Amino acid sequence: MFDGRLVFTGEAVGTLGKSDDESYFNYTDYEHNALRMMRLSFAGLWQPVDRLAFVGEIRSENFDQPEAYAAYVRVRPWRKHAFDIQAGRIPPVFGAFARRIYNSDRFLIGYPLAYQYLTSLRPDASPIIADDLLRMRARGWRSSFPLGSVDAGPGVPLISAFEWDTGVEARYLTGRTETAVSVTTGTLSNPRVADDNNTKQVSGRFALKPVTGLLVGASAARGGWLSREVPTLDGLSRYAQTTIGTDAEYSRDHWLVRGEMVWSRWRLPFAAIPAEGPSVEALATWIEGRYRITPRWYAAARGDRLGFSRITSTIPGSRPVPWEAPVVRFEAGGGYYLRRNIVAKASIQWNDRQGGRVTSRQFVTAQVAYWF
Amino acid sequence: MVLNRIHAALCATALLTTIPNAKLSTPKVLVGGSTLEFGVWSLKFGVGVGAAPGSIRGRVELRQPPADLDPRPNPSDLGMHAAHGATDRRRSVVYLDPAPRAAFDVREDAHARMDQRDETFVPHVLAIVAGTTVDFPNNDGTYHNVFSLSKPRSFDLGRYAAGRSKSVRFDQPGIVRVFCDIHSHMSAFIVVFSHRYFAVTDDEGRYRIDNVPPGTYTAVAWNESMPSETRRVTVGDAADADLNFSLSKKQP
Repeated sequence: MFDGRLVFTGEAVGTLGKSDDESYFNYTDYEHNALRMMRLSFAGLWQPVDRLAFVGEIRSENFDQPEAYAAYVRVRPWRKHAFDIQAGRIPPVFGAFARRIYNSDRFLIGYPLAYQYLTSLRPDASPIIADDLLRMRARGWRSSFPLGSVDAGPGVPLISAFEWDTGVEARYLTGRTETAVSVTTGTLSNPRVADDNNTKQVSGRFALKPVTGLLVGASAARGGWLSREVPTLDGLSRYAQTTIGTDAEYSRDHWLVRGEMVWSRWRLPFAAIPAEGPSVEALATWIEGRYRITPRWYAAARGDRLGFSRITSTIPGSRPVPWEAPVVRFEAGGGYYLRRNIVAKASIQWNDRQGGRVTSRQFVTAQVAYWF
Repeated sequence: MVLNRIHAALCATALLTTIPNAKLSTPKVLVGGSTLEFGVWSLKFGVGVGAAPGSIRGRVELRQPPADLDPRPNPSDLGMHAAHGATDRRRSVVYLDPAPRAAFDVREDAHARMDQRDETFVPHVLAIVAGTTVDFPNNDGTYHNVFSLSKPRSFDLGRYAAGRSKSVRFDQPGIVRVFCDIHSHMSAFIVVFSHRYFAVTDDEGRYRIDNVPPGTYTAVAWNESMPSETRRVTVGDAADADLNFSLSKKQP
């Protein structure tokens, strides 16, 4: 039935941590906690000819109905050039972390804040004045705004690591550089299959390997992020998410260190524009390291901070405050390889938030991951 | 390392009780290139005087040629995976089990080499005598991280760049599976023997084991992707014995 090469892989990851229905530090939406999740994924690649491949991955979280995480066609137009085009539900070109889909490439259990922590911003609802936004500080797991959808719902992270966008991307690879650009339907914080605002996101990344073991990258993306559900007086394309990021990784011997810095700005349709302007910003910075102690044991740690720009309430005499509650996270842990493809991990994560009902919380989490 | 040597010494001592005519010589062994007065026992066995050794030769046929190892499909790749060298999984190892009495005369302190080239370990199957040090040079323009979790020898060489090499000494007999922590499709086998009566097949599946003392032996053909096959073979005085194997995924 299938000519050519057909290759499969799969992964089962069980994560067990303390339930958290108060602080929602690790929620990826209103229902899923990244520290308390069973994830099954199955990926396949069919390459009927050398320069054409079909790639797909389906994934189920907590035994929900499986969803297509990736589904695209990959074409290499010229045999002699490492230039590839991919179309469909494609991996993001921005940054580095979102493409680390395999558990084996993630040392710790928790996610970097930029890729998981839910801000209060929603693409289908918007604040009218600064006070609407400030009322939702530290409520990203279930925020609500007066403009657009009236239902409460989860906000968005700076970049979603749990969904991929739909569109077309091109990548050109040389010995020491990688250049990639994409045009997609959604945005980094709100990847989509179906268009909801007649705008496209353009994103790109340039990565350089100056020496073996060192990789530095720079990324940028911009695209309309508000959906049609939010009524605006001007075009939705004016309400863009603009993101710039840098990433670096260095490894040598038994060490690996990597980190990213991501700055993002969302323009909002305020009826009364705050003194700071019509946009809000966020800056996420994280660095993590891993050391292989023995062939089976490793230790890892990550420091992570998510900060926000300030806006001023309409209440007379107010001082500017961050539009979201800044968060600091530190996670330390380790892993033990039972077999090459079975790893048991444990970690402890400290979270501190400058706002909300619960301002700090620790989580002890264990995880077993298997791949084939 | 010390524990490995103690274990090897205990194994060698235990072996004495099972092999007739075995003699225990002065206890000394090469450790890290130096001769120590204790450690692994050096064994000497009686070999028939006047009997000229022969050889065992033949071919190992694989009825279902094993497929190449493809990388795990990675949907997060932004393009085609870089081409990598083909993994030669056709190689088999033929060895005598148990080995002739003369097998344990010398504990080797030799060197062997397993390259990392085009994201492939070359050779894919390496057979060595216990005590051999294997060098793992990186001949690719990217990092590799050679490691093994196998019981006979677990190790992790860490990441090192092209032009550099790291080494591991294998003291304990057994099968050691070798991987790269960065490239999932890279794997190899190092088969460590306590004797020297073994051979790895060539491109055509042929092998030859030389200097086998006359006698009747059990020979085993091993391949990573199929069940092993065992056959009896008799080696005459200064004679060649032909012995062919046909390995299949289905047990006969």
